[in-house]
Amino acid sequence: MQCDQMTSQERWDALIAHEPVDRVPCLQFILGHTAVVNGKPIAKIYDDAAESLACQKNAMALYGHDGLIMHGWANAGGAEFGGDIEFPYRKYTGAPMMKKSPVQSEDDAWKLAVPDDILTVGTMPVALEFSRLQYESGMTVTVQVGSPLTWAGSVCGEERLMIWIMKKPELVHHVLRVITDFIKKKADHWIDTFGAERLMAFDLCIETNKLYSPKHFEAFGFPYLKEIHDHMTARGTAIFLSHICGEQNKNLPLWSQLSYGKRGMVSVGKEVSIAKAREMFPGIIVMGNVDPITVQEGTPEQVRELSRECIEDGKGHPGGFALMTGCEVPPQAPPVNVDQMVKACREFGRY
Amino acid sequence: MADEATILGQLKQAVMDGDEDAAVAAANEAVATGVDPQKAIMEGLAAGMAEMGRLYEEEECYVPELMVSSEALYAGLAVLQPLVAASGKAAKKGTAVIGAVQGDIHDIGKNLVKMMLEVSGIEVVDLGRDVEMESFIAAVKDANADLLCMSALMTTTIIAIKDYMPEFKAKLPGVKIMIGGAPLNQHLADEWGADGYGENAMEAARVAVRLLGA
Ligand code: B12
Repeated sequence: MQCDQMTSQERWDALIAHEPVDRVPCLQFILGHTAVVNGKPIAKIYDDAAESLACQKNAMALYGHDGLIMHGWANAGGAEFGGDIEFPYRKYTGAPMMKKSPVQSEDDAWKLAVPDDILTVGTMPVALEFSRLQYESGMTVTVQVGSPLTWAGSVCGEERLMIWIMKKPELVHHVLRVITDFIKKKADHWIDTFGAERLMAFDLCIETNKLYSPKHFEAFGFPYLKEIHDHMTARGTAIFLSHICGEQNKNLPLWSQLSYGKRGMVSVGKEVSIAKAREMFPGIIVMGNVDPITVQEGTPEQVRELSRECIEDGKGHPGGFALMTGCEVPPQAPPVNVDQMVKACREFGRY
Repeated sequence: MADEATILGQLKQAVMDGDEDAAVAAANEAVATGVDPQKAIMEGLAAGMAEMGRLYEEEECYVPELMVSSEALYAGLAVLQPLVAASGKAAKKGTAVIGAVQGDIHDIGKNLVKMMLEVSGIEVVDLGRDVEMESFIAAVKDANADLLCMSALMTTTIIAIKDYMPEFKAKLPGVKIMIGGAPLNQHLADEWGADGYGENAMEAARVAVRLLGA
């Protein structure tokens, strides 16, 4: 196996500067799994900023991947508006979940408002602390900024939201308006505190066509995403990453119209081919899309083979390419499988 | 007065349109004109939902549409089901307990399965999501259920099903177990000793009816 010619930091810096890298970088969504390899409860990744950062850094040193280090999850937003959240301490739990959504009725939804002090609500204190630690250790500072429609599911409960999408669209737009205003306020605070040039904003978006039609996405997803992307780009945000989760082929034309800061990144699931992502996002970094289920259930050989295919499909992308799993690395994935992804970058990803 | 075929058509259409009022109106008309309530459910309401399921598979409709269809279906069912019970003709096919397993809050698919079981004449006790093993056992005993249905959508939580299985076999003899959720398949169901597996809500209902021998 060939040796790397750059450190992870140099590779990341070059990728972001759109300069040549020695090999395909391996950027992972790797959260709960980093707690597992550190022998800690998965919940620590989410409710304890210092432990979270330490676990993620240690895992990076162990596997040798080139990022990402971040604080965020899919079922987000509800806690900030007063819902009950549970962190994953119990057996079989792998990520934070809403125990009770803050909005239970139409009345609740109409009353939804941005709190005066957004920094003290829900999980904001730990998010801010995590970013402060990133800032102090000289790293890229990350901030989760949506997506609004995904957050709306957490705020209202997904089924209620879907029924309102059909029957009370104006109510859904109200909820999305409030959530978007909250997120913009959050974004402004991060920009003012840490500086836009140090920031990587990201959104995790489950607006898949397994749930929503492209028309729903156009009406309820896209406009609010655009508002946040435009706002943060206009304020000089360095990096914008969108995780386009699951089957979203029919949504891609809209995703490709968003602004992505100075340097954009999109990560796609196995349902969207690397070729398709390259075609839709010619100028920005494409990341993906090794099937997470194979990373948990498959053999190292299978992971290696899937990684090789991704690398071959993505390597020549003019916007940049990084190997990643199609969604979060499963917390209980065998370490030998996760290890294969970095190995594959070294073996097949050389430029 | 409308004939039977027209009323069945109206029930089906009301479900497909997600129109609760129309579903109730058509159900009332079915009652008024003496359409067999069981037939009205199966060939009217359920047929509409089956058609929606087919459209979903073909990506002609999406989950929000399924949700409002399911509301219309339940509205019609509320009119018709008491009559089925009263007629005593189609006896209850059995009782099922359903839930998403511990650690899993994905419940959209589970709720669609629940609905299809209910239209098939199965009484369903829904434990919701993130359900622990002991709660399943207690609920099956409480309801004297014949069928236990578990849903899991993640690689982390399908393991819970595998872990629960020996305990269920020991503590719930004679109770059939059906499992489902995107990462599962017939092979895993067989390997773990489940009695049934369903890839989608329609199939879940067919398998459940078969398992209950009804
Ligand atoms: C919606 C969704 C969410 C919503 C859930 C909302 C809700 N109330 O359900 C939210 C945002 C909360 C969410 C959160 C998370 N999610 Co999620 N989510 C999805 C998504 C996009 C769709 C699932 C869905 O509803 N499909 C539509 C329904 C109709 O289909 P279905 O569920 O498969 O059900 C059908 C069949 O399976 C079957 N069936 C289902 N149950 C049963 C039961 C029986 C007995 C039978 C017979 C049949 C049966 O019939 C159903 C109807 O036809 C999937 C991706 C995808 N495209 O599948 C990811 C996905 C399931 N999520 C995933 C993950 C990782 C998560 C998180 C851990 C992310 C994170 N790090 O925060 C959290 C976990 C939260 C938790 N503790 O459970 C992964 C799981 C990967 C894995 N490791 O296996 C997926 C596959 C995304 C991905 N590409 O990786 N998610």
